Amino acid sequence: MSPAAFLLTSLSLGVMVLAAGAYALLYGAARLKNSRSLFVLAGLAYGVLALDAAGVVLATPLALAWKLVIAASALAYLRIPPLTWGYLQRTHRDEGAHT
Amino acid sequence: MSRSKNLAVKYLIAAVLFFGVMTLSGLLAATYYINPEFLFGLLHFSIAKILHIDTMIIWLLMGFMGAVYWFLPDEFGREPVGIWAAEILFWVFVAAVLAVAAIFVFVQWGPGTETTLWLFQQGRKYVEAPRWAAIGVALVMLVFAWNVVGTAMQARRITGVMAVMSVNMVPLVLLYLIAFPNISNMAVDLYWWWWLVHLWVEATWEILIGCIMALAMMKLLGTSRQIVEGWLYIEVALVLGTGILGLGHHYFWIGTPDYWLGIGGFFSALEPLPLLGMVVHAIYDAGVHRMKTTNRPAFCWALAEAFGNFLGAGVFGFMITLPQLNLFAHGTQWTVSHGHFAFWGAYACGILSVCYIALQEQRRLATVDSSSWVWAFILLNGGLIGMAGSLLVAGMAQAFFERAIGGSTLEAFIAGQENPWFVISMYSRFGFGLVFAAGYLALAWNLLTLGRREATISIRPVVPAE
Amino acid sequence: MQYEDPNCWRAGAISTTVVMAIVLVMLTIDSLDAINPGGSHVPPYTVINRHIEYAHNSKLGRDMPVIGSDEPLFGKSVTDTEAAALIEQGKLVIQSRACIDCHTFMGNGAYYAPDLTKAWLDPAWDAWIAITGAESREEAMARFLMAPEQYATWQRKMPDLGISRDEAVATVAYLKWLSSIDTNGFPIHFGRIKVSK
Repeated sequence: MSPAAFLLTSLSLGVMVLAAGAYALLYGAARLKNSRSLFVLAGLAYGVLALDAAGVVLATPLALAWKLVIAASALAYLRIPPLTWGYLQRTHRDEGAHT
Repeated sequence: MSRSKNLAVKYLIAAVLFFGVMTLSGLLAATYYINPEFLFGLLHFSIAKILHIDTMIIWLLMGFMGAVYWFLPDEFGREPVGIWAAEILFWVFVAAVLAVAAIFVFVQWGPGTETTLWLFQQGRKYVEAPRWAAIGVALVMLVFAWNVVGTAMQARRITGVMAVMSVNMVPLVLLYLIAFPNISNMAVDLYWWWWLVHLWVEATWEILIGCIMALAMMKLLGTSRQIVEGWLYIEVALVLGTGILGLGHHYFWIGTPDYWLGIGGFFSALEPLPLLGMVVHAIYDAGVHRMKTTNRPAFCWALAEAFGNFLGAGVFGFMITLPQLNLFAHGTQWTVSHGHFAFWGAYACGILSVCYIALQEQRRLATVDSSSWVWAFILLNGGLIGMAGSLLVAGMAQAFFERAIGGSTLEAFIAGQENPWFVISMYSRFGFGLVFAAGYLALAWNLLTLGRREATISIRPVVPAE
Repeated sequence: MQYEDPNCWRAGAISTTVVMAIVLVMLTIDSLDAINPGGSHVPPYTVINRHIEYAHNSKLGRDMPVIGSDEPLFGKSVTDTEAAALIEQGKLVIQSRACIDCHTFMGNGAYYAPDLTKAWLDPAWDAWIAITGAESREEAMARFLMAPEQYATWQRKMPDLGISRDEAVATVAYLKWLSSIDTNGFPIHFGRIKVSK
């Protein structure tokens, strides 16, 4: 791997997880406020994640197996916020705390 | 107040004081990068670094112990078993830490003999303390484990949180035994050393802080026990499910077989997933409660814990965890940036949250909210993010110029260290270190003066629904 | 739903932890076999009697140590027992002086001073042979360790740690053995790139 490729790949992976965090934050805010514009922003954040992951898969010298791990991670990051939110809502419903 | 809670307050005070020592020694260590002649011949970088990283471990351990001793009597409805021993050992622990610090500063090293390892210096990272002190720490932890597990065994009913904590005590204490041996073969030494370091900070400590935050959430938000315990079990499953074999990300380059590249890289790549779940949970709690709490600093530090853990351990870790990338980043300031951010986010923020919870009850305050805790919060987090960011730039320069381009020889090392990006980052890191230190002073002042000038009203603690 | 029941997650936590721990133990048994001296990745201590190189292995696609012909350290071939004693003493020196709190070993330690994994192979020792007036690389290394402040070449100096002649010889032996370990290619390209300032 060339020095430039290594640096770009590392940064891309960091951006991917950062975008996942931004997506989770915006998704949660959107569910709390029931705000369409926040859902759109959350979608955009995930869009950044997906583009970044696509870049890693298509343009970096990682081996195929690692690219599959990155692609699978990107899908997992998509599902974690809604799954977690749903679990929290259902477990809290008996306390009357729901959104 | 119960004996256990009194002991908890002592441990939390000691933790905050050693946090200050860690900060000061960190500033000292950072100084050498800017001025290599500083104190040359008197006190060297290695000693400053030892003080910095060892007091980090000590203050975090003391913080955990303080948090646990605080919550134990409420969980068990009684004074913990053997609290008398814990009370004595607190003073032994503090005295031993101070003695070891003095030995590090004034003796520093000895001849290459077993006697040196017993009396002055063991020279293994994080566990440099001489063996006599390591025996003391092991004893303190054994009694700590006895206080928790012994009380659990005598209790008529054990809660899920206490069950997880009790089981977790066993590996927590046993792993510390790895601090003792002198293993000639560096590959074997590092193999076992990583069991101690990784299975502490990326496994048993994660479980411990998870238990502590579960208890904190019940106190702060009145969340039901069933909910926090369900969440705790999910955390245990995901953190240990990824973290136990994620240990392999330390086995890429120490002479172990190359299957660790695949195993360690894969499980390590999964480690950010549970951290994202914690972020979602934090947002849910913040939103549903509309940030309404009688203890705003405690709640904000708990939120900082979730976000800091995700950013420091998740984002910064993911950048360097795949083996083909770690090959370049390993052993550079990139590691340091990740380490600073991860330790801060995963553990320090949680302990500070508990400090405010304990103080609210100890000083009988109806609410805890003021401008001064905000200053501490901003300066500490801002300083830490600035330091981690500076070290990230330095690490990237080092990985690029020293490793990727230079081939890691001495000449390449020097070229990396003299690279302008690296040099500027060392100044920037120092500057943000001063910001962090200012935050520490604001924190210490806030904790010292909290509620002392305000009218106090006795409060009903939030009773968690069973 | 079942997954809202904490007991379901408790069972998941227990089973996950147990399975992962068992796998770790199994891999540990195999790894310890590979990293004991004479194992697949770690040569016996008597490798210090041999010439050591670090070269790219095109079949494996990474850098690997290459053990060559006889090249006794300090001109004296050592037996198994003598080699083990030197390595044991070397490690005691490294720990007693807390070298790992300035340097790194296989990338682990502190980052103020250079990584020592392949220090034995560092081209810089040619300069120290001249500076110290030594006849060999190992002699130059030993003289440096005994008086590092006297032979400093950079603004960041190694302090004098009171290392005796015997301790210096043992440490050099340790570094030579360390450079022969197969570290899966870390550090990459060591010594094969000329750094242009």
